[in-house]
Amino acid sequence: MNAPERKLTLTPAATKSDRGVGARMPLVDGIEKVTGTARYTADLQANGVLVGKILRSPYAHAELLEVDVSEALKLPGVRAIVTGADCDVPYGVIPIAQNEFPLARERIRYIGEPVAAVAAVDEATADLALSRIRLRVRELPAYFKAADARVADAVLLHENKQGNIERAVHNEFGDTAAGFAAADLIREENYDCAEVHHAMMEPNAALATFEPERGHLTLWSVTQVPYYVHLTLAQCLKMAAAHIRVIKPFVGGGFGHRVEPLNFEVIVALLARAARGTVRLLMTREEAFLTHRGRPETQIRIRLGLMRDGRMTACQAEVVQRGGAYGGYGLVTILYSGALINGLYNLPAVKYDGYRVYSNTPPCGAMRGHGTVNIRFAFESLLDTMAAELGIDPIAIRRRNLLQAPTETINGLKVMSYGLPECLDWVEAASGWKARKGRMGRQGHIGKGLGMACSHFVSGSAKPVHFTGQPHATIALRLDFDGGVTILTGAADIGQGSSTIITQIVTEVLGVDYRRLRLIANDSAITPKDNGSYSSRVTFMVGNAAADAAQNLKTLLVAAAARRLKVTEADVEWFGEGAAVAGDPARHIPFEDIAEEALVGVGMLTVNGTFTCPIEFQGGKQRGGAVGSTMGFSYAAQAVEVSVDLDLGKITIDKVWCAIDCGFAINPMSVEGQVQGAVWMGMGQAMSEETVYENGRHRATNFMDYGVPTIVDSPEIEVHIVESIDPNGPFGAKEASEGPLSGFMSALAAAVEEATGHRFRMLPITPEKIFAVRQEQLAAAANEVTAQ
Amino acid sequence: MNSLPDFQYLRPATAADALRMHAANPASHYIAGGTDLMPNIRRGLVTIGAAIDLGGLGELAEIVEQGGALRIGSGVSLARIAAHSEVQVRLPAVAQAALSVAGPTHRAGGTLGGNLCLDTRCNYYNQSEAWRAGNNYCMKRDGEGCRVAKKSKRCYAAFSGDVAPALIAMNAEVEILGARGVRRQPLTELYQDDGMKWLTLAPGELLLTVSVPLDDVWVSAYEKVRMRGAIDFPLAGVAVALRREKDVLTGLRIACTGVASQPLLIDGLDAVLGKPLDDASLALIAEQADLANRSMKTTLVDVLYRRGVSLVLAKRLTQRLWDAAA
Repeated sequence: MNAPERKLTLTPAATKSDRGVGARMPLVDGIEKVTGTARYTADLQANGVLVGKILRSPYAHAELLEVDVSEALKLPGVRAIVTGADCDVPYGVIPIAQNEFPLARERIRYIGEPVAAVAAVDEATADLALSRIRLRVRELPAYFKAADARVADAVLLHENKQGNIERAVHNEFGDTAAGFAAADLIREENYDCAEVHHAMMEPNAALATFEPERGHLTLWSVTQVPYYVHLTLAQCLKMAAAHIRVIKPFVGGGFGHRVEPLNFEVIVALLARAARGTVRLLMTREEAFLTHRGRPETQIRIRLGLMRDGRMTACQAEVVQRGGAYGGYGLVTILYSGALINGLYNLPAVKYDGYRVYSNTPPCGAMRGHGTVNIRFAFESLLDTMAAELGIDPIAIRRRNLLQAPTETINGLKVMSYGLPECLDWVEAASGWKARKGRMGRQGHIGKGLGMACSHFVSGSAKPVHFTGQPHATIALRLDFDGGVTILTGAADIGQGSSTIITQIVTEVLGVDYRRLRLIANDSAITPKDNGSYSSRVTFMVGNAAADAAQNLKTLLVAAAARRLKVTEADVEWFGEGAAVAGDPARHIPFEDIAEEALVGVGMLTVNGTFTCPIEFQGGKQRGGAVGSTMGFSYAAQAVEVSVDLDLGKITIDKVWCAIDCGFAINPMSVEGQVQGAVWMGMGQAMSEETVYENGRHRATNFMDYGVPTIVDSPEIEVHIVESIDPNGPFGAKEASEGPLSGFMSALAAAVEEATGHRFRMLPITPEKIFAVRQEQLAAAANEVTAQ
Repeated sequence: MNSLPDFQYLRPATAADALRMHAANPASHYIAGGTDLMPNIRRGLVTIGAAIDLGGLGELAEIVEQGGALRIGSGVSLARIAAHSEVQVRLPAVAQAALSVAGPTHRAGGTLGGNLCLDTRCNYYNQSEAWRAGNNYCMKRDGEGCRVAKKSKRCYAAFSGDVAPALIAMNAEVEILGARGVRRQPLTELYQDDGMKWLTLAPGELLLTVSVPLDDVWVSAYEKVRMRGAIDFPLAGVAVALRREKDVLTGLRIACTGVASQPLLIDGLDAVLGKPLDDASLALIAEQADLANRSMKTTLVDVLYRRGVSLVLAKRLTQRLWDAAA
C-alpha cells in the first residue's frame, strides 16, 4: 500500500468502544434530522421578527446611477431599506481579492446582483416596497462567455483587471519540452465543461438581531464558514468583532456554496442594524442559483506525451474558466486546476496556463472537488483515448504511472500515503473488467459500455487563508461537576458528519461511554474558532485537534485518578469509565469520582487540543504554491457501467464501483455515504446539470429546469474502502468526500464511448447530444451504403 | 418560497354548488390537488380571488364500470388511477401515464382533472415574478409578444399533461357541467392549440368525469421522454392504442403530448390499416407524427431532439404493441 513503515502517533485504544474510531454508526445528529426536530435557520423562532427581501438587478452590466427608495420608504410597515450606500467596504473570502459589495455600488455586474433590501412587517409589504424602488442606470456591454470578455476592446468589469482576466497562472514544473521530445505518442484535445451549481437541499436563510443598547449583533446563518462570516460582518459593518456573535444552526448541505461569506449574510445584518431589531431573510431556490459560487464553465486544451509502454512524459494544459462577476474563491479555483494535475500519477513535467475570466454572470466559487474536477475529466479522457491508440488497457496504463509514497511531486506536494494501486485492483475485480471491458455489446437499440477513471483530492488545504499564527484547528473539552464531557467545536457540520467524527475520536481516546459526551458546535460566543468546512479539512485537522484535546484531558484525569487512588500516575490503569490501580482491579473508582477529584481546587476544566500543518507541507515556493498543498491526498478509482438507448440518446447508469483510499475509515458508514454522494454529484454534472444563461438571465433557476438527478436515476454504487493509514491523519484518516467525484465524468464518457462508438469531450453528456451524434452516425452509415 | 396572496377559500358540497360559487366569484379558481396551481400562484402566474376546493365532491372521486366503459371522476388521484387494477389491466396506457406524472407526492395529491386541465408550460412563463419582469414578461401573462417565436401573434406554451394523450388514444369522452347542465364530448374537443387558452371550457365550467371504452380488443401503452426518471414533465410523450386481428392491423390511434399547446391525436394513419405492420407503415407513422409535431423552444431541451424522439416513441410503441398482440 506504499504507506511508509512507521509507528502511529495515534493508535486505537486497547479497550474497544463500539462508538470509537472505526465504528460503523449513524451520525450523532441523525435522529434529530430524520425525526424533524433539528432546527435549521429558517425554523428559528424570534420575537418581533421583520421580513427581509432583496431587490436584485435585472441588468447584466450597468453603471448604477441612482437607487431611489423614497417611495418605498413611505409605505407603512417598512422598517428599513438598505442600499449600496450603506456599506462601502468590499468583501471576499480571499483577503487579497476582495472586490464585491454586499449591495451593488456604482456598478451592477450580473442579473440577480443585490441592489437594495427591505425589512418590513410582513412579506406583502416587503414585496410592495421592492416594487417601488427605482433604479437609474446606464447599461454597458455585457459579456456572458469568457472569450467575449477577453476581446481587446471589452469594457472592464473591474478597472484593475486588464483583459477581464482575474488571474492568469503560468507554471512549468519539470522540462515539458524534453518530455514531449522523448514521447512516442503526443495528442492534444479540447474539452468543454458546462457550469454547474451545488443544488444543496436547504435554500439560503439568515436571521439577524441587533441590540441597539449595547450595539451587539447576532447572526444565524446557513454557512459552512462561520468564522469568515464573522470577520466579514465586522469588516463590512465596521463593528468590533467582539460585538458580533455568529451561530450556525443545522445546515442542509453546502458543497461549497456556503464556503465563503455571502452577500445576504451582510445584508440581513445591515437590515437588522438599520431596523434596530430582528430581521429574517428567507431566500428562494432561484436566489440560490443567482448567488451561485458553483463550478465555472471551463474550456480545457490539454496535451499529453506518452511512451510506447504508457508511461507519461509530459503534460501541457490551458484552462479557461468563466468566473462570473466577482473574485470570490476564483483565483484559488484556477490555481487548484493546475496544481492538482499532479499528485495522482507520476508525472515528470507539467506546463500549465490558467485564466480566470470575469463575466457578467453570477460569481463562481468553490464546489465539491474545487478546481480539480474539470481538468481531471480532460486528463483522464485523453489518457483513455491515447491508451486505446497504444493498445493498452485503461487500468493497465494507469498502473504504469503510479507514484511511490512517500514522495514529493514536481510542484512541491507531499504524498505520504497512496492506496491507488489497491483501489485499481478492487475496481478491476469487482467490475469484472478483464472479462467484460470492450465486450459489452449491443442488444437491439441498447448499447452497453464500461469505463473507469481515477481521481484524488486534498485532506485540507495546508495553508490557511488568514495568517493569524493560530493553530489550524482547535477543540475544547469541558468537564464540570456533572461528569459530562462537552466537546466545543467551531467545525461546521453541514451534513458531512464532522460532529460524528469528532465525537468518535474523543470517545476513542478517552475510552468513555459515548453517551457521556455532548457536542456543541458553532456559536462564536461559546465554541473555539474553526476555519470552516472546506477543502475536506475537518476530519484531518479538527480530528487531530480532537485527539489532542482528548489526550490532554485524559492526562489530567489520570493524574486525578492517581491522587484519589493514592498511587503514582504510572500505576493507574485507565478504563475510560473508571480507573484502577494497575494489577489490583478491586481498587477501582468510577469516572464520577475521578472527575470530582480533577475539579478540586480548580473548578470546571476546559482543555484545549490543537493541530497545525507543519510548514513543510504548505506547498511549493512558487506564487500560489500553497493551493493544492495538503498533508494527505485521498485516492479513488471507479468503474461505471451504462446502457444507452441509442434511439432516444438516453443513458442509464447500471452500476458504479468506487474504491476510496481514505487512509482509515473513522466511520465506514459515513465514508460510504460520502463516496456515494460524491459519485452521485459527479453523475449530475456528467449527465444532466448545467446552468443556462440567455443574455445573462439564468433560465434554469429551479429544480424543474436544472437537472439534478432523482433517486430513480441513481444507480447502485458499491463502495470499497482502502486503508493506507496516513502517517499524519487522525488514526491514519484522510478525506473521503471530494476525491471520488472527479473520476466519474471521464469514466462515464468512456462507458458511453463503448456503448455508442463516440467519445464525448463536453459535459454534460445529455440525451440530445447523444441523439445528434447518433443521427450523424446513421447518416454516415447510409452514405457509405449509397457510395458502395 | 414566496408567500401566498390573500384569497377566499370555499369548499362546496356538490358540483352544482361549485358552479354557483364560481359564478359569484369571477376571479376564482377550482382547486383539487393544487400541485400545478399553487406553485403558479406563488409565482404570480395566477390571479386568484377565491379558491374553490373540489376535495369535498364525493361524486368526482369515484371509478365505476358503466355501460362498457370505465368512468373515472375528475377528482380521483393520479396515484389511485395508476394503482387501480382494472385500469392497469384493461387501460395500461392510462395507468402508465398516471404513474409517470411528477413524483409520488404529486401523484398522491394531483388529480385526473388537474392533469387534464394542466396549465400550458414555457420556460419563459414558468418563472418568478422578478424573472419575468426582468425579461419584460410575455403575452401569456402581464406582457406582450412571444419570447419563443419573436413575431408570433399566438402563444406556443406547450401542453404537458401525461394522462390526456393516453385517454385520447383510448377514445375517451368527458362529462362537463356548465351553466346549461351536463354535456358529453370527446376528450379531444376539450383542447385547442393555443398556449393562452388551451381549454375549450367556458368560465366556471367543471370537468366531472372521463369515460373510457373498455374494449379489450385494443391494447395500449404510454411512454414519455424526459431528462430524469421522475419529476419532469414530458419533453415528448406518446400514447398508442392498437387493434390487431391475426396478422392485420385493424385499428391504430396515436396521441402525443408536450409537442403543441394541446395534446394531439395523429391523423392520416388509415393507410396503415388492413394489413400487417411493416417498415413502410412505421415510416408513414413517423411521417404523420412529424407533420403534427409543433414543438417550439418552450423548454431548455432542443426542439430537434423533442421532435426526433417523439417519432421514435411512436414507432417503438406501435411495434411493441403489435408484437405483443400476436
